[in-house]
Amino acid sequence: MARLLSTQATALLLLIFCVGSSMGSVYFSDLKQNLIVTASPKPGQVLYAGEDKITVTWKLNSSLPASTDAAYKKVKVKLCYAPVSQKDRGWRKTEDNLEKDKTCQFKITTQPYAGSGSFEYTIDRSVPTATYFVRAYVVDASDTELAYGQTTDAKKTTNLFDVVGITGRHASLDIAAGCFSAFSVVALLFFFVVEKRKAKK
Amino acid sequence: MEEQKKPSSLQIESVAASDNKHFKVPVDSEHKATVFWIFSFAAPHMRAFHLSWFSFFCCFVSTFAAPPLLPVIRDNLGLTRTDIGNAGIASVSGAVFARLTMGTACDLVGPRLASASLILLTTPAVYCTSIINSASTYLLARFFTGFSLASFVSCQFWMSSMFSAPKVGSANGVAAGWGNLGGGATQLIMPLVYELIHNAIGSTKFTAWRIAFFVPGLMQTAAGIAVVALGQDLPDGNYQKLEKAGDKHKDSFSKVFYHAVTNHRAWILALTYGYCFGVELTIDNIIAEYFYDRFDVNLRNAGMIAASFGLANIFSRPAGGWFSDLLSKRYGMRGRLWGLWLVQSFGGVLCIILGLMDSLAAAISVMLLFSVFVQASCGLSFGIVPFVSRRSLGLISGMTGGGGNVGAVLTQLIFFQGSRYSTQKGIALMGVMILACTLPTMLIYFPQWGGMLVGPRPNATEEDYYAAEWSQKERDSGCHSASLKFAENSVSERGKRRDPSTTVPVDTTPSHV
Repeated sequence: MARLLSTQATALLLLIFCVGSSMGSVYFSDLKQNLIVTASPKPGQVLYAGEDKITVTWKLNSSLPASTDAAYKKVKVKLCYAPVSQKDRGWRKTEDNLEKDKTCQFKITTQPYAGSGSFEYTIDRSVPTATYFVRAYVVDASDTELAYGQTTDAKKTTNLFDVVGITGRHASLDIAAGCFSAFSVVALLFFFVVEKRKAKK
Repeated sequence: MEEQKKPSSLQIESVAASDNKHFKVPVDSEHKATVFWIFSFAAPHMRAFHLSWFSFFCCFVSTFAAPPLLPVIRDNLGLTRTDIGNAGIASVSGAVFARLTMGTACDLVGPRLASASLILLTTPAVYCTSIINSASTYLLARFFTGFSLASFVSCQFWMSSMFSAPKVGSANGVAAGWGNLGGGATQLIMPLVYELIHNAIGSTKFTAWRIAFFVPGLMQTAAGIAVVALGQDLPDGNYQKLEKAGDKHKDSFSKVFYHAVTNHRAWILALTYGYCFGVELTIDNIIAEYFYDRFDVNLRNAGMIAASFGLANIFSRPAGGWFSDLLSKRYGMRGRLWGLWLVQSFGGVLCIILGLMDSLAAAISVMLLFSVFVQASCGLSFGIVPFVSRRSLGLISGMTGGGGNVGAVLTQLIFFQGSRYSTQKGIALMGVMILACTLPTMLIYFPQWGGMLVGPRPNATEEDYYAAEWSQKERDSGCHSASLKFAENSVSERGKRRDPSTTVPVDTTPSHV
């Protein structure tokens, strides 16, 4: 009887666990930092979006047992905001629940996991001016994060680099803005003059 | 000249021998339209209506063009939450003084030139939003663009000059409501234009939003030119022409100013308007973020919810104006005052409830109901404003309008800046403030019509009230003739019970001098 109950209990627990892990969200604090990630920018280096490149390298921490990465299927490398760029900006907030986390908003690359790898990334033109670090998540077959690695420390204060984003401005826009503004004002003056002339008549 | 028996709604066909004017709509003795045919474009009355609401709509589109694109703009310019909040306050604070100036300008040079000048002179701010590069230039762009909201005053002034007392509430309500619609429409227009430019044309994010700003800019330029080219100040002509012909007295700023600031009703309406329109502006600035943060909807859905608040204006503000006119038919000015107090107070109650709603569906439902009542209150307010003064109508419209913006600035500063109150608590407290600031409606009193709690004085007349704004000397030289005509036509504000027939007596038929 007790055996039946304990089997049922285990089955139930397993069921809850399976359902939980497929429905529930992953929490960053549950992840282990099993990867070692390095990126080419030196601490405090300034890079330009659309022009400069970042080379990211990642590998599994060699001091871990060999079976640690059995479930690792893909590596997702992301560009993440440093705390100084998150301050007073709620849309970049760090949340423990990875579904709600907004720290890492730019995808550098997604690759099949092969123990180690590297990628040369040209900083996308939509990356804004801010301070960043690089983080890599390893995910399983169902895209659930299992572990991570990052170029900075736990407090995200060391080894950060800056990116200067594009302004989006063009000379043609400047000229158009000037012309249309001038046209509007001149049109008004034109009608004023016409009014005055009509009134004189 | 024929003197016909006048029907009760003052429909008089004007057959001025001197300039042979035939209006396409029925008019009263001031040649103001006594009907409001929304789908007509007949000059000058209905044409003025369409020019007025559309140009005001364009100003609203421009002023609130940035908020829906903020997710892109804030990254391009490196904005912080504080920067965004400050710019939001700046966008509505510029119009405080602009509305007062606009009011005076309307009194002195007429609504057509005043609004066209404002609209065309603020377009550079809209175009230059495409070339800004920092938090401070963002704030300046929104600040100067916000000045264009003062076109509200010229819009209301123009409607009050073109439409007769029984219809002025509806005309004001529809014009302002359809104008305010711009605040909701822009939340749909700007993201659409942005996506078109970003996806179809392929510009990068940070360029696409800049190009998108040319759309509100061009709309505004076109509207401004249309107003000055096609519009007309008064049913009989433009200010300059009428002043030259001696048909209109050219007034002085100091007199207009004096009679506006010494009228207690103007100040009370400025306060109450701050707590209907001011609340509407505040909600325009904070509601998308509120739904995004509290109920976890995505940004696009938050934008659509925000848009629906502003879009309710298409019928709710006009409904307020129409309701004011309806109450006035039966109960006169007292009806208009009670209507305002009841509708706005109920809006305050709904606001408190909105802050307390915990589920998304409930919050959206309450918000929609709240939007109807708050916007209807705006319409009801401008059913009353045209009667407060004739001489200083422009400046008083400006004071009321400016009061609306002051309310928005104050409310955002007290309840939605920093982290003293959570947004939901701020919304609930804003509701309490609406209730408190609507109470002074009880203090508005017209000797000839009464107030909410007190009846009219036995021998007070409309003529006395409006002529009192002119000195004896001015009256002797006949400067106040326009006010007298208005006084005659405003007798309808006594309601049905006191004056069974609102016909104009035969001996005061507009003679064709």
